[in-house]
Amino acid sequence: MIMLDLELIINNETFLVPVYPGERLYSVLRRLGFSSVKFGDEHGKTGADTVLFDGKPINSYLMLAAQAEGHKIETLEVMGEHPHLGWKDSRGLHILQQEFVKTGAIQCGYCTPAQILAAKELLTRESDPTEEQVRDAISGVLCRCTGYKKPVEAVLRAAARLRGEKVSPIEDPIQAPPEWIKSPIDDSIPPFITVQTGDTTLTAEKVISKLKVSTKPESWQQVGKPKEKVDAIKLVQGKPAFAADFERRDMLYAKVLFSPHAHARIKSIRTKKALEIPGVAAVLTHKDLPRIAYSTAGQSDPIPGPLDCFSLDNKVRFVGDRVAFIAAESEEIAERARDAIEVDYELLDAILDTRESMKPGAPIIHDEKDYVNFADSDPGKNLAAEIRIDIGDLEQGFKEADHIFEAEYEVPKVQQAHIEPHAVVTYWDEDDRLVIRTSTQVPFHVRRIIAPILDLPIKRIRVIKPRIGGGFGGKQEMLIEDVAAHLTIKTGRPVQYVYNREEEFIASRSRHPMRIRLKTGVKKDGTLTANDMYALSDTGANGAHALTVTGNTGHKAMALYVGDGPYRVSPNIRFYADIVYTNTPPSGAYRGYGVPQGYWPLERHMEKIAFELGLDPLEFRLKNALRAGEIHPFSIAWSEGRDPVPEMIQTNGLEECVQKGKQIIGWDQKINNEVWKDVPGKPYLKRGIGAALVMQGTAIPYLDMGGASLKLNDDGSFNLLVGATDLGTGSDTVLAQMAAEILGVALDDMIVYSSDTDFTPFDKGAYASSTTYISGAAVVDAAIKVADRIRERAVLLLADKLDGKEYDPAEIELSNCCAIAPDGQAVSLKEIALHSLHHANQEQIMAVGSFMSPVSPPPFAAQFAEVTVDTETGQVVVDHLVMAVDSGVIVNPVTASGQIEGGMTQALGYAVSEEMIYDEFGRAREKNFRDYHIFEAHEMPRLDTVFVETFEPSHPFGVKAVAEIPMDGVAPAVGNAVFHACGVNIDQNPVTPEKIWFKLRENR
Amino acid sequence: MIVEYHRPESTKEMIDLLSREDPRTLVLGGGLYINEVVIDQIAVADIQDLGLNKIKTKGKKQILGAATTLNTILNNDKVSPVLKSAIKYQESYNRRNVATLAGTVIAATGRSAITAVLLALDAEIELIRSGEKTSKLHLGDFLPLREEYTQGTLLTGFSIPVEVTSAFNYAARSPADLPIIAAAVSRWPSGRTRIVLAGYGEQPIMVFDGPNSDGAETAANDAYSTAGDQWASAEYRADTAAVLVRRCLNQIADKNEG
Repeated sequence: MIMLDLELIINNETFLVPVYPGERLYSVLRRLGFSSVKFGDEHGKTGADTVLFDGKPINSYLMLAAQAEGHKIETLEVMGEHPHLGWKDSRGLHILQQEFVKTGAIQCGYCTPAQILAAKELLTRESDPTEEQVRDAISGVLCRCTGYKKPVEAVLRAAARLRGEKVSPIEDPIQAPPEWIKSPIDDSIPPFITVQTGDTTLTAEKVISKLKVSTKPESWQQVGKPKEKVDAIKLVQGKPAFAADFERRDMLYAKVLFSPHAHARIKSIRTKKALEIPGVAAVLTHKDLPRIAYSTAGQSDPIPGPLDCFSLDNKVRFVGDRVAFIAAESEEIAERARDAIEVDYELLDAILDTRESMKPGAPIIHDEKDYVNFADSDPGKNLAAEIRIDIGDLEQGFKEADHIFEAEYEVPKVQQAHIEPHAVVTYWDEDDRLVIRTSTQVPFHVRRIIAPILDLPIKRIRVIKPRIGGGFGGKQEMLIEDVAAHLTIKTGRPVQYVYNREEEFIASRSRHPMRIRLKTGVKKDGTLTANDMYALSDTGANGAHALTVTGNTGHKAMALYVGDGPYRVSPNIRFYADIVYTNTPPSGAYRGYGVPQGYWPLERHMEKIAFELGLDPLEFRLKNALRAGEIHPFSIAWSEGRDPVPEMIQTNGLEECVQKGKQIIGWDQKINNEVWKDVPGKPYLKRGIGAALVMQGTAIPYLDMGGASLKLNDDGSFNLLVGATDLGTGSDTVLAQMAAEILGVALDDMIVYSSDTDFTPFDKGAYASSTTYISGAAVVDAAIKVADRIRERAVLLLADKLDGKEYDPAEIELSNCCAIAPDGQAVSLKEIALHSLHHANQEQIMAVGSFMSPVSPPPFAAQFAEVTVDTETGQVVVDHLVMAVDSGVIVNPVTASGQIEGGMTQALGYAVSEEMIYDEFGRAREKNFRDYHIFEAHEMPRLDTVFVETFEPSHPFGVKAVAEIPMDGVAPAVGNAVFHACGVNIDQNPVTPEKIWFKLRENR
Repeated sequence: MIVEYHRPESTKEMIDLLSREDPRTLVLGGGLYINEVVIDQIAVADIQDLGLNKIKTKGKKQILGAATTLNTILNNDKVSPVLKSAIKYQESYNRRNVATLAGTVIAATGRSAITAVLLALDAEIELIRSGEKTSKLHLGDFLPLREEYTQGTLLTGFSIPVEVTSAFNYAARSPADLPIIAAAVSRWPSGRTRIVLAGYGEQPIMVFDGPNSDGAETAANDAYSTAGDQWASAEYRADTAAVLVRRCLNQIADKNEG
């Protein structure tokens, strides 16, 4: 092969680069260090690989480098730079970059460079774009975090500024539509209204409503404010912050040979031809590695599930299971070596349907002798976990009912689809400790889980979590770290392993599909007397998260409706589940963690009951819903990993959520309005609205623990080290806001670092909607300790300055980077820092805090959908989604609303377009983003978010969770809206055209 | 693996390259097709310097250069609005800057809206084969034999009629998802009506080409009566095909009346 010597013009500089004829432009740009260009997929669907090619956005992964010769290439690196670069003048950030930072358009930041480049090209050709034009311009860049609302807002604001117009500061309150403001629930409390943009586009319509607030909230300077993300400047420049951006000399690149068979035993495997390929450094098979049973689930010790995985095994259990690991000098060589490995398989009967798993005579998927049971798992029955929860007297409840409603529902397998794939780099450091730099949600769990697999003690492993490009539960696993680590141990060299998109689909984790049966007893007046759910859950070929995901299906969904009157004290609820093995890719953690699976059947079922009994669907729900002051019914029966302890609901804004949501969606104007349902000129179209009420949890009680350390620097700034992992959620920012609030400093005085198992305190990681609550309380704990010490030093300093004047440290207020006495005398934190570090009685002011919660206060929400159904084709278009949510006090309304918008968008896919299907051989239908369709910017419905704030007393700032609850109610709200539109009940999501068409035909 | 890259500056040079047996040489346009090819040891010949990215009108025909990108077509005022809507529906902005028209057709599956509309327009492909002059081939004849034309043949353009009224309708899981079922219909001033269905199989198929639209819905229904796969049942596709064809015909009638 003849190398080409190319002359590439990149960012107005000429680069002379030798390339292989088939080398992609993407690969060359990465090789040259342009880290803003990211890998998202092989087909240009994610657009993470965007560069400007003669000024136009194109996919660099689709283009050969040779094609680019003679053209101008532009990457994000040329657009702007940090506004302060020491003595050197900085041109600062481009206006587009500034607006992406200000509006909260950056969440994980992985797609941000591409979005900005696409927007730049738009603003070059159109100075005053419409929202539609903006959405079209960024349509080629998939974002799984934001819901696109804030990026669109950022581009429109940047366009206005480039035209010389002024835009409103993000913090400025802007008058919301009047119908949003008036609260019929509590008129005495004036709502606090703020929106984050101008009012010229749909992006403007956001209201943040404070109905109940904490003590002295108006004095807060940081908490509750729409602060810019602490990592935004880094991400908006496309800095090399992600796992795959890390470079190291002598790096090898890994590939895995995956099984083409759903169930087979490896009779023989030959690697000679692969090893003979020049550039191949190692090929590992099951014969080469120690056989250690483990679980990939990134959970606390002891992992609540069976140990049924092996790095490599002599048996494969799904199409996509591992057969061999390869390390080579390049990915291409590794792929050739992979294809040269010869394997003889003995094919075994496979189970692809959960209803077959426990039948007598079914093939046994885990027949290995070293399988380690947990609780009721029984590999002989293909049973990974079993749940039997009885609350009250179910049969008596049914006897007391006037009506019994029974139905079966189904929810599909879907994928997290984070745009950054799984990525890891491993190497031996100078102390012969194994460093694992990985895109993980759970660095501490990874270290603990991988140690025995590698035959290394924990202390010889260091796990670094760099910036993460979205996780959504998909990275709550020890999934690929062992591949690279084994190859590093074998070769002694650094190894990088990055999944491509097809590998993500066939070999990572997904949401558990379930078949669910519901039986509900109801009195004539709508009082629930008994509620019974059975779930048959598909864990796939391994049992990671099997027990806990499905446990949450019952724990969070079946807890919402307890019944009214005496049933509030003594509800009758049963939740049984069997979580079974099949020969499909393993299920795992996915944002919502089993709860969306529960709310699809529950909220479809409640809708049907209300309709059958002629009850108002929302009043019926509220009549039976759990209220503040009541015991969480499942807290007496089941807990995730620990013994159950009764928990009382302290705060519940559900009723206010319903009222606010109804106002925004126009519920009262539409629900009984047959004229509104018609679309003029199109008699085949019917409009409908629907709702779902939901609750989640906030962390796992008595189990989840977070830690933080805080250190004062010479200039009065602080290093905040947290083990918590920001996946794009904004947790680094909200944690810093809490610390800054207590210490009375600006947010940019907080230097946040997360996370590194060598340097940051332990944190269980980012899952279970826990970071703001658990890790936040740990930060508060550390900050209070540091603040106390600062006050004591301040008193000493003030005494020095004021001739021995004495103050009580408890009276010292920390504010504006100063310690201020009641009489106004003050010393700056910088003075205190210099004094404590250099001048007298020297000490390092620092503290470590940690927090574990005995409770899991649930956030509550009302979610609404408006749809248009084509009654001839069955196509459903979602026009509007509304979420009114009680997540306690909102620490940062910009990052929190971004969470809601992104979550609603993910959930929208769950409602209408996302599912993973397997053929009769267990082969995946979805292997790319053409077939697995996630929503793009130009097809989004209108999104509205309302925060109904309550103050949760178990947290110092009154917070509850916000991250997962948006996933729960969109799908059933859409299903209920479809029923409202055209009278058909779809019991299996996603709500696809054909399902509606079949039901409509049945009804004709 | 791509072992050679060429950027010919003349058609003859391109044809010579494409006619080689070893290494097999494929045309490189936007990269969409090459990205799908899994062949050991291929060469690629880049089309970008051949000037095949123009849009011209010749009498009652419009010629779209083979290397014209989809966004260039979208930005041209004279191109059929229905073809434009299919382009905007099928591809997002970035890929429209990358994808050429020829590459889009070569890489098309049965779910390609763009190919369906071109087929309904009875587009002709202009091509050059080794040792031959420019010739034309109807898209309907080309599609089933696409693979054969990837060697030794250079597509230079697509010729589509100007005085035709068209419509395109589809059903999908979301507004920008690939179609489960789609219909593209064109009607000539003479009344000639041509109907294409998409959403299934290897390529969109022409199901009706008659002097008028009599029997068009039935033809659509019949054509997809066995079009069942993992994405939808044949029953659904057949029924919906007729609905979409009816809508297309009504829209065309409205346009013509308007």
